[in-house]
Amino acid sequence: MGGLSELTPGKKTEGYMERRGQVLKACIVLTAKLFFADPQWVIPSIIAPFIFTLVAFFLFGGQATSGSFLLYLVLGSGLMGMWGTTIYGSSNSIGFDRWNGTMESTLAAPVPLSWIALGRVLFNTFEGVINALFILIIGLVWFQVGFGIVSPGLFFLASVSTFLSLSAFGLLMCTIILLSRKGGFITNSMEIPVYIATGTMFPVSILPIVALPFAFLLAPTWGIEAIRLSALPGYAGLATNYWEDLAILAVETLAYLGAAFVLFKRVEAYAKRNGTLEEY
Amino acid sequence: MKSTESPSASTVSAGERLRMALRVFWGAFLFGRKGLIVWDSWEMWVMQIVITPIAQIGFFALLSIYLQYPATVTQYIVIGNAVQSMSFAAVFAVANITSQDKWQGTLPSTMVTPANRLALFIGRAWFQVLLSALIAAAGLFYAATVFGVSFATANYLGIAVTVLLTAFAMTGFGLLISAVGLYLRTAMIVANIFLFVTLLLSGVNFPVSVLPTWLQPVSWAIPLTYGTQAVRMAISGSSFTALLPTLGWEALDAVVVMGAGYALFKGFENLSRKTGRFEEY
Repeated sequence: MGGLSELTPGKKTEGYMERRGQVLKACIVLTAKLFFADPQWVIPSIIAPFIFTLVAFFLFGGQATSGSFLLYLVLGSGLMGMWGTTIYGSSNSIGFDRWNGTMESTLAAPVPLSWIALGRVLFNTFEGVINALFILIIGLVWFQVGFGIVSPGLFFLASVSTFLSLSAFGLLMCTIILLSRKGGFITNSMEIPVYIATGTMFPVSILPIVALPFAFLLAPTWGIEAIRLSALPGYAGLATNYWEDLAILAVETLAYLGAAFVLFKRVEAYAKRNGTLEEY
Repeated sequence: MKSTESPSASTVSAGERLRMALRVFWGAFLFGRKGLIVWDSWEMWVMQIVITPIAQIGFFALLSIYLQYPATVTQYIVIGNAVQSMSFAAVFAVANITSQDKWQGTLPSTMVTPANRLALFIGRAWFQVLLSALIAAAGLFYAATVFGVSFATANYLGIAVTVLLTAFAMTGFGLLISAVGLYLRTAMIVANIFLFVTLLLSGVNFPVSVLPTWLQPVSWAIPLTYGTQAVRMAISGSSFTALLPTLGWEALDAVVVMGAGYALFKGFENLSRKTGRFEEY
């Protein structure tokens, strides 16, 4: 049977994954186009981690002239940038639909909203990499420090895994923001606390004990540990090794994804039933 | 024929113009208060007064602890960030006033009103001065209670005067950016840059002297640089007389910044009227 029934969200008909793949690709491309056409909404989320890192450069003082410390900063900055763009992107991807009046069209699309949001969040997280590159260039040009990565292969694997974990977390955030009028509150309130809890600029071991459970529940905490273990010579962070960090990261990322897709399904159905998505 | 409709007409006496300007100022102030208290949700207040200051102070204090700096350096950083936390209200929120007018479609109505521009310009942001001072006071409270900064020898009057003056001056800085926002599509980007750039340039986390020489004049053009310096002096017990030179420079900076903001506002308003590009964004 063809026609619209084939396109009903949730029906696993032939070409189910292919259609989702197309939606994912389209949303990534559209978000990229919007970013390059009008980057004003995304730049703010790059500015904060960029300046935080520059301040850290000055606070690190003489230590920042060492390649390892510079790399430490660049890696932390990269994570801050990815988190900043993820959280703002998650908030704005739904908020923009409300402001632009495209919420109905987006919801009426014959594909689950979660896949649309995932495409948007993936590109938003990727934008954070730009921030890390800025810091890297400043470090190389201004501080004139060169550095090398201990295990480029493991570094790449850890970076991609962290990128995916942040995207999954961003997707989870989208479900909360979807139903809430408090997007701005959630976004602004979570930005710096997550910088702290994930140990972007300092190891989580210096956090107060009460904060550690929150830190360990955040997948990026394990991601940055794995990244540092693979990149910094002689890095001693938490008691876990590289593969243990990656395993915990994978489990938490899958948990975020699972929770996000389940919540999205429920929230989308709830929102359609109540017709209150535009109410803000 | 003389017009009696426009309050700016020559028939209106100077005293009457002043009275109307004060009325506009008060109306704009009340409107700003209504916007913040009635329309803003309580969560935004919690975010501005509780979460953001504590998180920001905590981030840089932990960085200092990680780098094993002595307690005096950590306290320097804590105090600087406590004062800087006012920037969200003083700079970011104020800078977006004209952009908000554009988004909400109220810019043409605001611009056609015959109200005194200076009164309107300052009045709309005045409530943010009080909010900014409240946020800085909350930041200093956290500095004492959460981060262990000693206020044993503090000059409280000096702190209060400095915080109020800094809030006023930084709001003027926000108005300067807001004026630029009248011409730009939005002031959001510039507001964000100046919201965070003060962390780097205003002696918040390290002395201005650490910065490259060519950057230091920029630091001293930002009122917050004087504010953080004066608050630290007041907390360490400096007398009001000792604070006066720093406060004097800050007051002068505030007047220059606000004057420049008003001049820009008028300039861009005239340009917008000529080109008819008020709402182009």
